[in-house]
Amino acid sequence: MTEEDKKVTIETGEAGKGTTKLPKDANTEELEERALSVFSSDRNEDITALIFCLITTFLVVLFTKWLV
Amino acid sequence: MSKVKEQMPTLIMGAGLLVYGLIAQSGALLPIAQYLHTHKTLDLQVTMCLIVGCIALAGALVNSVRKPGHSNLDTFILQPLGGIVLILVMAMLIRWYAEPLMKIISQSLQPILGFKIYKVLNLNYVVLGILAGVVLTNTWGIPKFAAPGVKCARFVLKMGVIMLGARYSFAELAKLGVYSVFLVGFFVLGTVFLVLWLGNIFKQPKSMTGVLSAGMGVCGVSATVAVAPVVKAKSSEMAYTIGTILSFGIVCMFIFPTIGKLAGMSPVQFGAWAGTGILNSAQVAAAALAFNAVDIETLKVAEIFNITRVLFLPIIVLVLATWFGKESGHKLSFKTVVIDKFPVFIIGFLILFFLSSIGMFSPPSHYKGKYIDVSYNDRTQVTHEEWETLNNAIAAGEFSGLTPKQLEAVTDLVKQRQVAGNFEDRGNKKEFDHVGRARMTQLEGILAAAKAKQIQLSADVKSAIKHAVKQVHKKSKTVVTLTDFMIWFFAFGLIGLGMQITKKSITQAGGWPIVMGVIAGITKATLSFFVVLWLIKDVVLN
Repeated sequence: MTEEDKKVTIETGEAGKGTTKLPKDANTEELEERALSVFSSDRNEDITALIFCLITTFLVVLFTKWLV
Repeated sequence: MSKVKEQMPTLIMGAGLLVYGLIAQSGALLPIAQYLHTHKTLDLQVTMCLIVGCIALAGALVNSVRKPGHSNLDTFILQPLGGIVLILVMAMLIRWYAEPLMKIISQSLQPILGFKIYKVLNLNYVVLGILAGVVLTNTWGIPKFAAPGVKCARFVLKMGVIMLGARYSFAELAKLGVYSVFLVGFFVLGTVFLVLWLGNIFKQPKSMTGVLSAGMGVCGVSATVAVAPVVKAKSSEMAYTIGTILSFGIVCMFIFPTIGKLAGMSPVQFGAWAGTGILNSAQVAAAALAFNAVDIETLKVAEIFNITRVLFLPIIVLVLATWFGKESGHKLSFKTVVIDKFPVFIIGFLILFFLSSIGMFSPPSHYKGKYIDVSYNDRTQVTHEEWETLNNAIAAGEFSGLTPKQLEAVTDLVKQRQVAGNFEDRGNKKEFDHVGRARMTQLEGILAAAKAKQIQLSADVKSAIKHAVKQVHKKSKTVVTLTDFMIWFFAFGLIGLGMQITKKSITQAGGWPIVMGVIAGITKATLSFFVVLWLIKDVVLN
């Protein structure tokens, strides 16, 4: 079996630059999803979103309530 | 040199934003903004354009001279910068130009068509954003420089869902009472399970079924976005769900008021039915107003039933996480579902909901940060011209068709130049507030009666009363700002989501999701119709 045969092509959409070749035993579903995000995992994405929102909320409350 | 060429679009957009910001700051755009009713956002337009423009220029310059690396700065900021700026520019165009223009066009077409296209087709930033993204992807394609930025869309959408929590509080649940909360919960969970069952019958992908069940059960966009990562839904499946919900809502907006009138529903019963059966918040409000424009109670009941559905979101996420895990053949313990599978960003929604409930943003009893303040204040007075208009109208007997209480409210408005309680009661805040609010309700009744053509009032008089009522309706600045952030996050995320939807992915989904959505929607609407008629008499609000 050649190196090329061990690989599988997955559809990653235009944002994921079309198609990508991966080893056959890779978790393609997970990779397909990751190709559409800048984060390496859902948990990282969620935690970053949560931290950003808490900072935003703190700043909004600070400038519209506490410092007014 | 090639690096500079690659960064050229970002440089041009950055420079364009700076120029636009400076023009807006000079005041040259004021007439256009006034025409579009966006003049109150001019300060925001200047600030956003100058900040984003500067960041775009600086980032593009750094990218032009520096080799791309693998640091966090490269992955999360420098590489996606072009796409982020492109989506932001599109979001600005939609929010400041396309959406207001749609409202103006649909208003001018109303006399010919008999309805507002803007309201019927729900052409707000949600729909326009997704459409803009879909059109761009399926015509020119996503520009090469923007591809990494599009990958930020889902992350930003999640931030939108977290911020959504700030708009709600336990006070809304308390208003409904246990009885009605159970009713809403029954229909939310019932619809979710019905769609899951239909998905099984029609052999649809689990991800599609899962996301559609949340969308149909809870409400449109937010539930779809919240559940998508739990059931591993693709962007096209999310868009399909949002499309199905909005299309179903359009039909409901027309049919619900007609059926409600034919069945002789009371305003409260119709409010409860619309709030349970129609999915999208804007469409719920439109149907409630179409049923009864005079009695504000219909709209209030409909909105509160609708809001209560959103509060079931975390429960639905848990239910679907368990279902998806089991369907995928995993053995799931309680710990796995609640701790490992539960999305962290939904915890963010709950944190903001909790902060809102304890009164961090505005007193918890204030619905979405809105409150009525009838205390004496120079800024809440009507203008001198408005006062003269009202005074002359009273002298000319223009208010002859009013009830004694309505007439008393208008007379007091002229006397005190603002909506307020009795001057001699000003020391007794409770009594003063009570009388002031009652007068405001009477004035709202006058406006509703004039709208329903039950009484004839001149445009100037209506405008003066409307202004007086508007002056006592205040909004918490904190909640307004947090809501603004939420809207921008959703606008950004939905444009990016639209950009990930190709014709191929929509064709792959086929027509079955629409069939499932329609079956579930009709079942829910029919069942809730009979339950509301049977169980809800008149008083549902505490």
